[in-house]
Amino acid sequence: MNRQIQAIAELDRVIHEPGRLMITALLFAVESADFLYLQYETDMNKGTLSSHLSRLEEAGYVEITKTYRGKVPQTLLRLSEAGRKAFAEYRRKLKQAVL
Amino acid sequence: MDQVQALLQRPALYDNIDGTGELVLGLGALGFSLFGWLNLHAPAGSVWHGMYALFLFAGVMQVVIYLVHKGIKSRITYRRTGFVAYRTGKAWVVMAVAVVVSALGSAGLFMASRRHWDLSVPVLLFGLVMAALYIRMIGAVRWKWAMCSIYVAAVLAIAVLPADLVEAFANHQSISPLLTAKALGAYWLTFLAYGAVLVISGSISLWLYIHQTQAPAQEA
Repeated sequence: MNRQIQAIAELDRVIHEPGRLMITALLFAVESADFLYLQYETDMNKGTLSSHLSRLEEAGYVEITKTYRGKVPQTLLRLSEAGRKAFAEYRRKLKQAVL
Repeated sequence: MDQVQALLQRPALYDNIDGTGELVLGLGALGFSLFGWLNLHAPAGSVWHGMYALFLFAGVMQVVIYLVHKGIKSRITYRRTGFVAYRTGKAWVVMAVAVVVSALGSAGLFMASRRHWDLSVPVLLFGLVMAALYIRMIGAVRWKWAMCSIYVAAVLAIAVLPADLVEAFANHQSISPLLTAKALGAYWLTFLAYGAVLVISGSISLWLYIHQTQAPAQEA
């Protein structure tokens, strides 16, 4: 099989979905962010965003913490070490596939 | 790949979405301009000539700027478009760059003093470096390029102002043979223009942000 096609076949399917790719890329660049920030940047509704985050949490890529900022409940999200490694690997494979 | 790269850069641009990045830098520049003015124009023996006055002034200014930044972020930005904590792992890179820039600056000053250069000449370069720092914060916001152009035009105007006028801003005082009244006046004006442009630009950004966003309704 051609090297580029093989790289496409090996892309991480959990991250490759456009919505989850946006989430992981945004979280990769920060230490942590809250649900509201991801909703603002991705323009997804609460249900869709929650569903993508659940999928990423199941895969062990995202850590979700429920906390409070003052009296307001806040959902903090951060990429786990496994998530960081998976995203870095995804970018490497994507480069292989398109270059 | 370009889209992924653009996504990776969004959190850094988000820091200045409400104009606080510009406000912090601008208030700092205006604060130091104010201190410079007081230092140059206060009568001999005034407290504004003491080194402790600079430390006290810088300390108070830093606290005020910190409170303004924190107030805007926690009362407006985090409630409307969310909270972001940035990674601090690359602090050593910033430190290394600061050390290299300081070393180059010191070497430049040393050479300038040895060769009796006129330090009012590189004010144009100094102004353009400041403009480059501003451009880093602009992102894709088009109207801010107009603000940047105004600043560059101001720097060019300062560079061609009559020497007498520039020296008047420094009260015709020279600190050393290197820092002549002309050099002090030119740098003071450049700093003042930078602070003014950043504060105006940051204020417009904050006004636009407040009018274009709203906090999501709390669920019962």
